[in-house]
Amino acid sequence: MLMLIMRHELLLVLITVILLLVEIFLPADRKQKIILPALILFGVVMILGFIPGPTGRLFGGMYITTPLTLLMKNILTVGVFIVFLQSVDWLKKEENREKISEYFILLLSTLIGMEYMLSSGDFLMFYLGLELATIPLAALAAFERFKEKSAEAGVKLIFTSALSSGILLYGLSMIYGTVGTLYFSDVVNGINGAPLQILAFIFFFAGMAFKISVVPFHLWTADVYEGAPINITSYLSVISKGAAVMILTILLFTVFSKVAIMWKDVVYVTAILTMTIGNLFAIRQKNLKRFLAFSSIAQAGFIFLGIIGQSQLGMTTVIYFVLVYIFSNLGAFGVVAVISNRTGKEKIDDYDGLYRTNPMLSLTMMLALFSLAGIPPVAGFFGKFFLFAAAAQQGLYILVLIAVLNTIISLYYYLLVVKAMFLNRSDRPIEYFKSDGYSRLGLAICIAGLVIIGIYSPIYEFINQFTFGIY
Amino acid sequence: MAFNIYDFTSFTQSIDEALYEWLPPFWALIVEMTIIGLVFLIGYAIIGLFLVYAERKVCAFMQNRVGPNRVGPYGIFQTIADFIKLLMKELVYIKNSDKLLFNIAPFIVIIASFMAIAAIPFAKGLHAIDFDIGIMYVIAVTSLGVVGVLLAGWSSNNKYSLIGAMRSGAQIISYELSVGLSLLTIIVLAGTMQFSEVVELQSSGWFIFKGHIPACIAFVIFLIASTAETNRGPFDLAEAESELTAGFHTEYSGIKFAFFFLAEYMNMFIVASIAATVFLGGWMPFHIGSWEGFNYVMDFIPPLFWYFGKTAFIIWLMMWFKWTFPRLRIDQLLNLEWKYLLPINLVNILIMAFIVLMGWHF
Amino acid sequence: MTSNQFMFLLFSAVIVIFSILTVTSRRILRAATFLLFVLVSTAGLYFLLKYNYLAAIQLTLYAGGIVVLIIFSILLTSHISEKLPTAGLLKKWPAALVALVGAALCIVVILQYNFPGSVVDTEVVNVRDIGNSLISYGEKGYALPFEVISVLLLAALIGAIVLAKKRKD
Repeated sequence: MLMLIMRHELLLVLITVILLLVEIFLPADRKQKIILPALILFGVVMILGFIPGPTGRLFGGMYITTPLTLLMKNILTVGVFIVFLQSVDWLKKEENREKISEYFILLLSTLIGMEYMLSSGDFLMFYLGLELATIPLAALAAFERFKEKSAEAGVKLIFTSALSSGILLYGLSMIYGTVGTLYFSDVVNGINGAPLQILAFIFFFAGMAFKISVVPFHLWTADVYEGAPINITSYLSVISKGAAVMILTILLFTVFSKVAIMWKDVVYVTAILTMTIGNLFAIRQKNLKRFLAFSSIAQAGFIFLGIIGQSQLGMTTVIYFVLVYIFSNLGAFGVVAVISNRTGKEKIDDYDGLYRTNPMLSLTMMLALFSLAGIPPVAGFFGKFFLFAAAAQQGLYILVLIAVLNTIISLYYYLLVVKAMFLNRSDRPIEYFKSDGYSRLGLAICIAGLVIIGIYSPIYEFINQFTFGIY
Repeated sequence: MAFNIYDFTSFTQSIDEALYEWLPPFWALIVEMTIIGLVFLIGYAIIGLFLVYAERKVCAFMQNRVGPNRVGPYGIFQTIADFIKLLMKELVYIKNSDKLLFNIAPFIVIIASFMAIAAIPFAKGLHAIDFDIGIMYVIAVTSLGVVGVLLAGWSSNNKYSLIGAMRSGAQIISYELSVGLSLLTIIVLAGTMQFSEVVELQSSGWFIFKGHIPACIAFVIFLIASTAETNRGPFDLAEAESELTAGFHTEYSGIKFAFFFLAEYMNMFIVASIAATVFLGGWMPFHIGSWEGFNYVMDFIPPLFWYFGKTAFIIWLMMWFKWTFPRLRIDQLLNLEWKYLLPINLVNILIMAFIVLMGWHF
Repeated sequence: MTSNQFMFLLFSAVIVIFSILTVTSRRILRAATFLLFVLVSTAGLYFLLKYNYLAAIQLTLYAGGIVVLIIFSILLTSHISEKLPTAGLLKKWPAALVALVGAALCIVVILQYNFPGSVVDTEVVNVRDIGNSLISYGEKGYALPFEVISVLLLAALIGAIVLAKKRKD
C-alpha cells in the first residue's frame, strides 16, 4: 500500500474535505455544532499518526518520509490539537460563529502544507509546502478583520511572506541555474561552494530567516503577533516557527552539508543577534502578546545553537527543544488567550494579583514561563541544556557564554510576569472566572507535557534513535 | 510564384524565400514583418468599415428601418464618410486627466486585438504565425485588451467612465473563464491547440458535429461569453448609453475614439473567427462523411470564401443578439456567469473528456 | 547582430527601463501600467526562447490576470489626483545605494560563474509533453505538486471568503 506512506497528509486532506462538505450543508444557525466533531476527527487523525507505518519515497523522490519526518509531523499535529482546544472558547464568540469551519479548514491546510514541506524531496515541493503553510495564515491573522489591528496584521504577514518567498525563490533559482535540478538528492552532489551558490544560499537563508523571524528579518513579528487573534499568534509563534526550524535544520544538514563551514558562520552571527536583540526588546514590552513575540524571537536564537552543532546531537536537541517549546509556549499563550477572551486584558500590569483570584491559571503560566526561561524542574531546562551541550561539543564556548548570559536576561523578564501575578497587589485584579473545558484540557496537556518531558528522560533517547544518520 | 486560391502555402513560401535571397536575414525579417503588418492594417481598415456598415444595416433591418442610404448605392460609402469625419475631428484634451495613461489606453486596446488576429488562419497556409499553442495564445492576448479599457475609464477623471470601466473589468475577468473553458472542451476533443491542426482535423466533419452535445453546449457558451467579452450588447454595460453616456470612452474624441470603436468591431471579428475556426471548421469546406460527390463539389468553393462566410454568419448572430435582447444588469450578468455558465462548462468538459475517453465521438 | 539578439536587447531594455519606472512613479496606476509592460516583455523573452507555453501562461496569468486585478483594486481605492508621497533624501539615497550594491554584487557573481555553454538549439517544448509530465507520477513527474497546488488554491479561496464575509448584524 503505497498510499500509507503519505497517510498523515491524506488523512488531513480527507478531514478538510469532510469539513468543507459539512459546512456547505449545515444550516446557518447550527454552525457551532461542527466544533466537537472536528476536534474528535482531528484527535483521531492525531492518534492514527502515532501508529508506526511504512516509510519511503513516492512520486519519483519528490516526497520522502523517514521515521524522523514522521516524528516531526506527530509533534506538530499534537501542537495543532492543543491550539484547536484553546481556540474553541474564542470561536464560540458571537462575531466568529459564521466562520468556524473556515477556521478549521484554513488551519488544517497550513498543517498539510507544513507536512508536505517536511516530507519534500525537492525544492518545488518544499516551496509549495511553505506557501501552503503561510498564505492561509494571512487570512487567519486578519480573521477579526473589523478590528483594525487584525487587518493590519494580515496585510503585514502577507507582505512579509511575499517578500521572503521572493528572496527565497531567487536563491533557489540560482541554485537551479548552477545545478540544473531541484531534487535534493541531486542538488547535494552539485553544490561545490562556488560564489554563485554561496550567494544563492544567502538568499535562501534570508528567506527562511523571515519565516522563523531571525533577527535582521524579524521586524514584522511583533506587529503581526499583536494584531492577530491570540490563537493565531500562538500558532504562528509555535507551530509555524517549529516547522520552519525543522525543515531548515534538515536542509542545512543534508542539502547544504557540503558548504557547512560557510553556513555555520551565518548561523553563528544570526544566533547571537537573535538571542540578544530578542531578549533586550522583550524587556521593554508592556503587552503580553508583544512580550511573547519577542521572547519567541529570542528562543529561535537558542535553537540555532543546536543547528550549528551539525551532528546527530544537534538534530536531536533541535527536535527536543521544539517539542518542549511547543508545550511551554502554548501553555503561556493558552493562559493569555483564556484571560483575553474573558476579560479583554492583555497587558502585563493587568495581571497584578492574578494568583489571588485565579490561582490555577497563575500556576500554569508560571510553569510555562519557567520552562521558557529554563528553570530546572520543568522541561525547558533540559531543552536549553542540550542545546548548549551541542554547541559546546563543537568548541563554540564564546557562543555558549553569550547564550548563557542571554538566558539570565530572559530569566529577568519572565520573572517580571511571575512577580506581577504572585507578588504585586492590585486594587482591581482580574476577577475569578471558570474557564471552559476545552481550554482547561489544552492547558492540562501542556502542563503534563512539560512535567513529563522534564522528568522522563527516555523521551530524549526516543528522539535520538530517529535522528541517527540524518546528517 | 505559384498562386493557388486553394492553398497559399507555396505562395507565401516563395515570397519568404525570395526575400531571404535578396536581403540579409535581419533585413529580410524586418521587411517580412512590415509587409504582414501592412496587410493586416489594410485588412483592419476594410473589415472595420464593412462591419460598421453591416451593423447599421442589420440594426435597421431588425428595427424595420432602411439604414444608411444616401452616400453611394445602398449607403455603402457612409462609413467611409464617417471615418473621414472622425479623422478630422479635434482631439480634446481633458484637464486634470492622467495624460499619459489617457493616450496609451486606446493603443493597448488595439494592440491586443492586433496580436490576437496574428494567430488566426484565413486559409490553408495563410496565417501570420502558427503557434503550437494557438488557441491559448489567442485567449492570452485578448485578455490584455481589458487593461486599456480600465485605464481609459480611470484616466478620464469622469465618474461615468470609471463606472463603465469597472463594469467592463468585472465582466471581462468573469467571462474570460467561460471563453477559455468552452475552448478547452474542444481542445480536449481535438487533442491539439495548434490552429492549423484544429482546422485539418475538421476535414472529415466540423467539431460542432463531431463532438455531439458537449460541443454544441460549448459553442453556445462560447457565443454568449465572447459576446460579453467583447462588451457587446446585451452585455454592453460598460458603455450603456442610457445610464453612462458612453461609459469608458466618454471623454475620447477623434481618432482615439475611432480606435476604441475599431477595436470593438475587430474584437467581434476575431471572436467570430475563433468560433468559426474551432467549432465550424475554419476555412475547411463543408463535408459529409462518405458523400464523395457532395464533398467534391464543396471543395471547389475556395477556402477564403468558406472562412469569411462562416465568420460573417457568427457576426450576424452576434448583431442579432445585440438588437433583440434587452441589456442585463450587472448583478444578473455576474450571476449568469458564476452560477450558470461556469458550472455548466465544468461539467461539460468532464462529459467531453468521458466521450473522448470512450471513443464515442466521430 | 541577428534578429534574435536584437529582440533580446529590445525586450531587456524595456524590462529594465519600465521596472525602474514602476518603482519610481508617483502615480500608482502608472506604476501598474509600467508593470504590465515589464510582464509582457518577459513573455516576449519566453517567446524568443521558443517556450511558447510559458509565454502564453505569463500573458494570461500576469498580464491578463494579476495586473488587471491590481488595476481593478486601484480603481476602487484611489482617486486620480492622488500622488504617492516622495521619500525623504535620507531614505532615498541609502535605499538606492543598497539596491545598486546588491544588484552589482548579484551581477558580478552571476557573470563570474562558469555556466556550461549549451550548443543545442532551442526547441519548441511540446504542450503534450508538458501535459503528460504534469500528471505523471514517476521520476520527473509533477502530479504531486499539481495536486498540492489545488489544495493551496482551495485554501486561498476559503481565505478570501473569510476576509470578504459580511459582518452579521
